Amino acid sequence: MKYVFTFDEDRCSACGACRMGCIDQNDIDIESGESCFRRTYEDEIELKDGGLYCVYLSAACMHCENAPCIDACPAGCIKKDQETGFTVYDNTNCIGCKSCALACPFGAPVFRKSDGKMVKCDGCNIRVKNGLKPACVRACSFGALDCVAEADFNASEGGKACSQLLKNLGLQKYS
Amino acid sequence: MKKVAILGFGAAGYHGAQGVRMTDAEAVIDVYTDTAFGPHNPMLTTYYAKNALPYQGMFPYGSLEEVQERLNLQVFRASPVAELKTAEKAIRTAGGRTAWYDSILIATGASAFVPKIPGAGLPGVFSMRTEADARYLKERLESGAVRSGLVVGISWSGIKVAENFAQRGIPCTLMNRSAQAFSHALFPETAERVLAHFQERGLQISLGKTLQRIEQGADGGLSAFTRDGQQLTADIIVMTSGIRPNLDFLSTEDICTEGGLLVDPHMETCVPGIYAAGDCCAAYDIFTGTQKNIALWMNSVEQGRVAGVNMAGGSARFRGNLPVSLGHCLGLDFLSVGDPSAAVPTGRVYEYADKQLYIRAARNGRKLHCINVIGAAECSGAIKNAFIKSIEAPDAALSIQTACLLRSQGFPDDFIKFLGGKHLD
Repeated sequence: MKYVFTFDEDRCSACGACRMGCIDQNDIDIESGESCFRRTYEDEIELKDGGLYCVYLSAACMHCENAPCIDACPAGCIKKDQETGFTVYDNTNCIGCKSCALACPFGAPVFRKSDGKMVKCDGCNIRVKNGLKPACVRACSFGALDCVAEADFNASEGGKACSQLLKNLGLQKYS
Repeated sequence: MKKVAILGFGAAGYHGAQGVRMTDAEAVIDVYTDTAFGPHNPMLTTYYAKNALPYQGMFPYGSLEEVQERLNLQVFRASPVAELKTAEKAIRTAGGRTAWYDSILIATGASAFVPKIPGAGLPGVFSMRTEADARYLKERLESGAVRSGLVVGISWSGIKVAENFAQRGIPCTLMNRSAQAFSHALFPETAERVLAHFQERGLQISLGKTLQRIEQGADGGLSAFTRDGQQLTADIIVMTSGIRPNLDFLSTEDICTEGGLLVDPHMETCVPGIYAAGDCCAAYDIFTGTQKNIALWMNSVEQGRVAGVNMAGGSARFRGNLPVSLGHCLGLDFLSVGDPSAAVPTGRVYEYADKQLYIRAARNGRKLHCINVIGAAECSGAIKNAFIKSIEAPDAALSIQTACLLRSQGFPDDFIKFLGGKHLD
């Protein structure tokens, strides 16, 4: 069964609990300068009419259907997990060239200085395969983040909108 | 049953075969390659040489045998094609085999350009493109006998070769024919900063020098002489002045070429049924709207797959080339999107510098011409995407996520406005 992440911005307060879940699950050493795979934003963006839009956002790898990071990796480190549909990786041969970062419109892959390799959100693949929710979803107290079966998602209105976005960005598979 | 041929087996050839196979499980796919290796990525040669990658890592899709089995291919190894009869869609190999096909993908890649100067063939003078080049560089550097190196051509591969020397503490000079390094990608101001970083880490830089000849002394040491009379000595000289498409087996009267095989968005050449992809082709560039040869791994992957799908009767379209480069060397990342030479005197220039970030960008009216960024590789994809958006939808704003990402990573608001992202959609 394939899965997708969903995000309801109306429920997000950018509290950062999702980041804490991610940091804990992936043993990310923030103090030494490592980047969390999930980013949260509490920001104000200027609108066309001069007003301000208050942003509360949680974002990580979008696990694009036609993930450009897979094609971009010169060492063949990134692939799709056929079971979950997540964009996963084995960075044993990663050379830290950051080609995956250049391919990703969302800034998902990050460089880990300690070993010179790229790392990213893998959807908590191992958790999901064992019937658990991803750590960020588990930590979200407001129900803003979720991880649902792709079939259920595609049937929803949000799924249709997201599919259109991915299509516009050229991140869907060939028909 | 469809019968297709793939000439050359790098990224474009491999993904061409994959595109055919995912569209037509029954198609006969004949692959002609001039090596006995699996698809090889030239970019990985310098990483193997500096021990960042094991030998097998240079072949990201596995061995030729593994690929052959996975995609059900008939592979003619060490069988370069000597002639392509475009009208008949027939090939003849150097070994004399002749065969006819429904469609053919030319994915012969490119070779390192080596100037035809006296001494270019001396021992210790080599280029950096092939598996053999990688092994040779590694062996020489690990021998302990190399006390100095000269890299001719400040290119993406050239700086990685120089990094190999620098990381081993071996003195190295980077020589460049043009007075400005990376003139096709970087503004002079950006290039100066990049080269200053290299110099601070021990590399010697020699600009505006044209190599005239190379001589070998009795002790085996090499001397490079420039046109203006300068002499540089080194134990090994690596030629990294660019690449040229491998099209010698083609008659240019039979097929359209201009810096590469000209292809349409379906990766088909001007000859129906003959496709081309990868470093040997010139596909549409979304920046200029013309066909250009832009040799990038990701382009080769996408182009090969598109060609393969179409060859097998499917429908796929290449989104387009874009001049984009992300260099990283000796701890410095530098991004270029677009073409600095496209900037016009009447246009606007944006510049910003702090301790971690340097930005220089140019636009004319609604069109962004070029963006250089030093020190923010993790945002490179977001910036590239903003650049593409400015071409495809000049009036559209940045997404909320892109604006927030850039701000969170220290990009100033006026740069985000310069990108066109002042307002939300």
